[in-house]
Amino acid sequence: MTEKIISVLTKLRQFAIENGITATFFYHEEDSALMRFANSAISLNTNEHLVRLDITAYEGCQRASYEMITNLDAIEDMQQGVLQAGEIVKHAQPLNYTPTIPVYQETFIEEDAYDPNLAGISNDEKLAYFNQAVAGLESDQVKLGGIFSSGRNILVVMNTQSEHALAHVTSDAQITIVLSHKTLKWELIAEQSAQKKDDLDPEKIHQELSFLLHHYQSDQAEQIPLGKYDIVFGPAAIAELVSTMNWIGFNGGMMKRGYSFLSEDQLGKRVLGSPFTLVDDPTQVETFPFSQDLMGIKREPFTLFDQGVFKAFTWYQDDADEFGAEPTGHTVMHKSLVVSAGETPVNTLEELVKAPREKDILYIPYIHYMNFVNPSKGLVTGSSRFGALLLKADGSVVVPYNVRLTQSLLDIFSEKIAWISDGQVAYNTSMSYGARNPTALIVPNFVCVKDLEISHANSSY
Amino acid sequence: MQQKIKEQIDRIRSQGAVYVDSRWYPNEETHNLTMWNGNLKNASATRESGIGVRVLFKGAWGFSASSDINNLPGLFEKALDNARTAAERVTFPVRLAEKDAIQGSFSSPNRIDPFTIPFDQKVGFLKKMDDLLNQPGVSQRVADLTFIRKQILFYDSEGSEIEKNIIEVFPSIGVMGVDADGQTHRRSFSPARLGDTRGWETIDEDLFTTEAERIVRELNQVLTADSCPKEERSVILLPGIMFLQTHETIGHALELDRILGYELAYAGGSFVTLEDFGTLRYGSEKLTARANATVPNSPGSFGYDDDGVPAQDNLLIDKGILVGAITGRQMVEEANATARKQIFQGSSGANRATSFYRVPIERMTNINIDPGTDGTLEDIIKDTEKGIVLDGDKSWSIGSNREQFHFATEIGWLVEDGEITDVVKNATYQGETLKFYNALSAVGDESTWEVQYVDNCGKGQPNQVMQLGHGVPVCRFDNVRIGE
Ligand SMILES: [Zn+2]
Repeated sequence: MTEKIISVLTKLRQFAIENGITATFFYHEEDSALMRFANSAISLNTNEHLVRLDITAYEGCQRASYEMITNLDAIEDMQQGVLQAGEIVKHAQPLNYTPTIPVYQETFIEEDAYDPNLAGISNDEKLAYFNQAVAGLESDQVKLGGIFSSGRNILVVMNTQSEHALAHVTSDAQITIVLSHKTLKWELIAEQSAQKKDDLDPEKIHQELSFLLHHYQSDQAEQIPLGKYDIVFGPAAIAELVSTMNWIGFNGGMMKRGYSFLSEDQLGKRVLGSPFTLVDDPTQVETFPFSQDLMGIKREPFTLFDQGVFKAFTWYQDDADEFGAEPTGHTVMHKSLVVSAGETPVNTLEELVKAPREKDILYIPYIHYMNFVNPSKGLVTGSSRFGALLLKADGSVVVPYNVRLTQSLLDIFSEKIAWISDGQVAYNTSMSYGARNPTALIVPNFVCVKDLEISHANSSY
Repeated sequence: MQQKIKEQIDRIRSQGAVYVDSRWYPNEETHNLTMWNGNLKNASATRESGIGVRVLFKGAWGFSASSDINNLPGLFEKALDNARTAAERVTFPVRLAEKDAIQGSFSSPNRIDPFTIPFDQKVGFLKKMDDLLNQPGVSQRVADLTFIRKQILFYDSEGSEIEKNIIEVFPSIGVMGVDADGQTHRRSFSPARLGDTRGWETIDEDLFTTEAERIVRELNQVLTADSCPKEERSVILLPGIMFLQTHETIGHALELDRILGYELAYAGGSFVTLEDFGTLRYGSEKLTARANATVPNSPGSFGYDDDGVPAQDNLLIDKGILVGAITGRQMVEEANATARKQIFQGSSGANRATSFYRVPIERMTNINIDPGTDGTLEDIIKDTEKGIVLDGDKSWSIGSNREQFHFATEIGWLVEDGEITDVVKNATYQGETLKFYNALSAVGDESTWEVQYVDNCGKGQPNQVMQLGHGVPVCRFDNVRIGE
């Protein structure tokens, strides 16, 4: 699959060398398909085949890039791109550091996370999956929405410093199924991430949706009082919060630019709660991992937090170059973040609802529209969405209208963590902005945090 | 090429498609230059071309796109095939509101094409900005220039042929600094749209020089300021935050696809229902909002939308009452049929796609608030007992039905008895959309009205980023919770 690409890039490399241009090539090819549902219909069925080529040219400390959407047969077009990059770089102002261009020692093709059966899944199979996942759950009032996003993704990098290439081929599916009430406007969600076709399990989705639907149709809905709650976060919410740390937490470049709640003097110190362990683990195939980064550095499991103790910042090569840091193998399209499981044998919503409790528990599966209010303090805000439940101490269940949380990540993942599920799930966080980049985290099914403040509660759905 | 596309449109029509269109982008280019603390971190040019095909078959859409234009029959066939599958699950068969077949063209007004400006000159501008921003108190300084130039050729099976040539220019500068508690604060500037054009000529170096001095000064005021108090006050929103308030809680809330539930799986819905048009009191009588795609200098004006419907200027909220929405051909038909009355007289011309490989969806044009009669900013401050003036977007988070929101701003100035007293840091405010707009107690006059642009509005799956504008005056809202 990557042979022809490598051969074309080899020709481009030769062309660049002949023209005296030092360059790196980043080739991205996607076959993406997305079936979208709304109001119980397929509202959009789309596919795209796109080839992107980013050419970055270097002249000492000067750097410039030319990015094009092209196709593999258009070699002359690509050569023009090389010349363009070579022209722009002449006018680029020198950086105050020297950007590193890697010298790959061997060609490395990573295809472990590729399954041709998933990449080639048909329209009919996707529709059948949806029909099975929501069988008997739709009605005049309860409507189906969601996506089945799937595709094949190929990355190949090469440069003028060596004849070797790195390639990364993945297949992925991101499935979101939403049931919403036409007039009451509540919404429920069940999601699945797949790396291979066997991961697809519409029956599991069906069970989750049935359970939630039962509660939303039979339990009382109410505006809950403001104040402190013990909150159980579901996989989507945990993945969202942890992804935020990747942005305004342990990212070395962001820290140096003042956009982090972590500082260098916190290294080796207990910053978060002792139940919290977070590792970047490229051995987990469900995370579509990179076992070498784009600089050719071999990646091993890399601990970020060990029982709450902050262990390390991660560095992109360019940040490492600028700030004089040691590269950590994190020049990747995405990390492979894994939040360690705990010891509590509560892993499904049904088990959570049935589990004995002394206090009311607010279950928040999903945080909508989270944003950073104050990155220096890790302060974030967002609203609950998609199937929150208030599990009362007396065993009854109330459906809460959506609430807003404005909290610091330092507080959410502090010693306030009451318990963590002993089971984990892969949660797909891929965005469909720009180039396809299948991304997933492995997170516990639930994390329960004591005494978190709700700052706003809706008076209706 | 044009002939080949038309042949394919006819061929797919003959296979039973009710409607077919295609958007061919022969060339779309961007230039982006970012200087961060004196380092030209990003100097990039991009170029893309390709074609997107939309087919309506038995009430369902299929779409297919490719950068490879050498296999047009295969591409059109794939779009039809996608529509055939979609037609197996139809609840409300798609139909399109009437429109005329149009032979037209649109070029965004500009005097100087930014792509003709030498690279060195652009870098020179950034270097100058970087030097101006390199002052005591500033830990990070950023200057950014982004330019877009694209050509779009639209053909549909109803006989429309439209050519669009669009140029956009997005300049901005910003500074950050660290206060005594180790917290980072920022102040930024991107110019309001002045004049009638939107090319390179709109980058006014003198203005940037003045504004660079101002944001550095204001950053230093924030760095030594107390935190915003946690209480209720009147908030006076300058255009630098009012544009985003309008964007998030009027613009997105009034996209008809959201109202009809087409974005529920991701972006969210709207608290607005079809029954609300003509009756809902959205805001106080001082609130008049419109979707105006004819503002010449704004990226929210594009001549014809991607349904081929001409640009319009429509009221959304008339003296506080909800009267209109942001619509395309498909959604108005479904809305009128669902409501069993003609709420909408036709498409408002707001269906747009971000690139050849995305489908058009309802997008904001220029969602503007009409200037009011409450005078200048000074007049409004003078008339405020206990308030806070807010500017600069720092963070925004909105409920999934746009029913409530939380914003953080770059700076706040407390107002006591008609006078500005202190600057505060970490200013935030939150509220419920309807309650908030009904507490609109003052709207500034023309002197306070500015067109601000948004170059990164995200919506849809697959996701699309869109450019648009907001012409807004200074507005005051009473009894708002701040500081949380
Ligand atoms: Zn937006």
